[in-house]
Amino acid sequence: MFDGLALFGHSLGNFLTPTSVGYALLASLVGMVIGALPGLTATMGVALMTTLTITLQPNQALLILICTYVGAIYGGSRSAILLNIPGTPASAASCLDGHALARQGLAGRAMGIATSGSVLGTWIGMFFLALFTPILGEMALKFGAYEFFWLAVFGVVISGNLTGNDPLKGWIAGFIGLFIAAIGQEGMYAHDRFTFGIHDLSGGIALIPALVGAFGFAEVLTVMKDRPRKAIINSFDSVIPRLSDIFQYWRTIIRSGLIGTGIGIVPGVGEDVAAWSSYAAARRASKEKEKFGKGSVEGLMAAETGDNACVPGAVIPVLTLAVPGSAPAAVLLAAMMIHGVQPGPLIMVQSPQFVYDVVAMMFLATIGILVYGLTLTHLLTKILQVPQTLVMPVIFVLCVVGSFAIASRMFDVYVMLAFGIIGFMLRQFNYPMAPLVLGIVLGDLLDKNLRRGLVLSDGDLTPFFVRPISFILFALVAGTILLNIPSVHHAAVRAWVRVAALFSRGKPAV
Amino acid sequence: MDTEKPSPFADFLFGLFWLVLAVAIMIGSWTMDRLEHLKVSLYTAPGVVPGLLGLALAIMAVLMILRSIRAGALQNARLPELGLQSHWRILTALALCLSFAVVAVGSGLPFWAAAAAFIAVFVFVFRFEELRDQGRLLRGGVLAAAFGLLSGAAIHYVFQELFLVRLP
Repeated sequence: MFDGLALFGHSLGNFLTPTSVGYALLASLVGMVIGALPGLTATMGVALMTTLTITLQPNQALLILICTYVGAIYGGSRSAILLNIPGTPASAASCLDGHALARQGLAGRAMGIATSGSVLGTWIGMFFLALFTPILGEMALKFGAYEFFWLAVFGVVISGNLTGNDPLKGWIAGFIGLFIAAIGQEGMYAHDRFTFGIHDLSGGIALIPALVGAFGFAEVLTVMKDRPRKAIINSFDSVIPRLSDIFQYWRTIIRSGLIGTGIGIVPGVGEDVAAWSSYAAARRASKEKEKFGKGSVEGLMAAETGDNACVPGAVIPVLTLAVPGSAPAAVLLAAMMIHGVQPGPLIMVQSPQFVYDVVAMMFLATIGILVYGLTLTHLLTKILQVPQTLVMPVIFVLCVVGSFAIASRMFDVYVMLAFGIIGFMLRQFNYPMAPLVLGIVLGDLLDKNLRRGLVLSDGDLTPFFVRPISFILFALVAGTILLNIPSVHHAAVRAWVRVAALFSRGKPAV
Repeated sequence: MDTEKPSPFADFLFGLFWLVLAVAIMIGSWTMDRLEHLKVSLYTAPGVVPGLLGLALAIMAVLMILRSIRAGALQNARLPELGLQSHWRILTALALCLSFAVVAVGSGLPFWAAAAAFIAVFVFVFRFEELRDQGRLLRGGVLAAAFGLLSGAAIHYVFQELFLVRLP
């Protein structure tokens, strides 16, 4: 524990230089603006910033990316509160009570609650990032080919199950992602797969151009499809967070922080699910249930704490397993690899300091959002009123730059365009993008480990099911799929009710 | 997250598309070189994983087709109407974006100039109705051009000069 604190102090000390602090503040601001503008997501922001920072030192580049990520997730609350439009999907839950408070003339108080919830949520997540990463890293060392195979399948299945409103479509998107990852030279014998003689395809589909397309260009098309609404913002009260709100709802903050971090750890699920889950849990436990949806301080606090706690949570599997906990974390993983950082089970053995560097980066990001949350309210309000007709063409130009700059080849621009059009069409038909992205990230892991496992067992499938961790992961995959079959789901609910009744029977009546 | 539900017929068509894709993947994987001349184990043949993925995708596609048929896809089979009038915004945005990325970029025009022209045209086209109604077409055009130039120059400066990133 104290070793961790010392390492964190050392990391923080390293970042307390004018350049790093300047980068952190600038990136938090850029993230906030990206998050606040409807149509621009955290994933796209982090992907574009990856391009911009490609020539910087790894630590400074990653500092900028993490500050952008944290800033964007927080920034989404601004448009949710002021315009009733979530700036990012993560802020959708904040619309319910945030905008209701704004309609009551309490937009300033709502923004204060969002600021305090986001900062505290990130701090709770940071605490668990520092605490769990070494433990999970040690556990991950026990993973072999069989476990990594199931981990990849589990990531795609759980992400498909939770990120959309139709699990079957989520799974299809995830498996399409896994297939996309199989295009190009495979990792064992460098044999071309599905390249059709196109030389550029031999290197495979790069993640950043695919992400910029699916989250950037697709978003530009989605926004431009409909006539934009004019942003009307009324005057608001003080944005300084009230300590009474924090003390009154401390249980909600801790609960939402834990839920957010926990959901962050689950591969590919992300901030929007964290926010909705925290909101639902707060509503269930609240003494003021009737206020939810009508301007509940507790509801807004839960949603904002949950989504920001998810950010450090999503980084935990990135560092320990090289598996992203959310779509922006997938970009972060790609950026780490571009900058020569190798996340995975050996991270605590090879570079333990790096884990605490990430925690320190998160801390600096929270300082950034705290500063801007209190000071730049009016500037952000003005930015929110910029017509989307002006913003979207600039974003598209940045998408072209972002996809080109990583490898300086036009092929990546075409990949971005293809993913943008496909992503737009899939979204129109309710196919979630997060499982697709996770599939692309996990495809290589699944491919290599399935084949490696089959060679090790000489074609025997038993080790895939009988090794303890393999069995747990397989059971989770099977359970997730089976629970989507209505008859199995009803039977499971009935069994759960019976078990719960058995335990409650012994309790005295109140 | 989009909460609007697509029609069962749309799901049916998508299911068919996924099924065709899955079958194509399986055929491609089966016919892929198994590298036997390199004495590669059958389990590590390059087509194993894509083949299994194709199989999984085929099962899901069949489930989607069956589900959409149960939801009445075949009773309400109707293709959506695609009209220029109702889809002009998306079609225009798509055409402008593709013209910029495929034609203008790499045509020899400096990137900042191509970006400036694209942004100016995009802004002017999508504000055309509003500007025409206000009788400010000329002023709007000049402002769009100025905004395009400013944005193109800013992108060039930040990426190429400040962060030393190569532009197309």
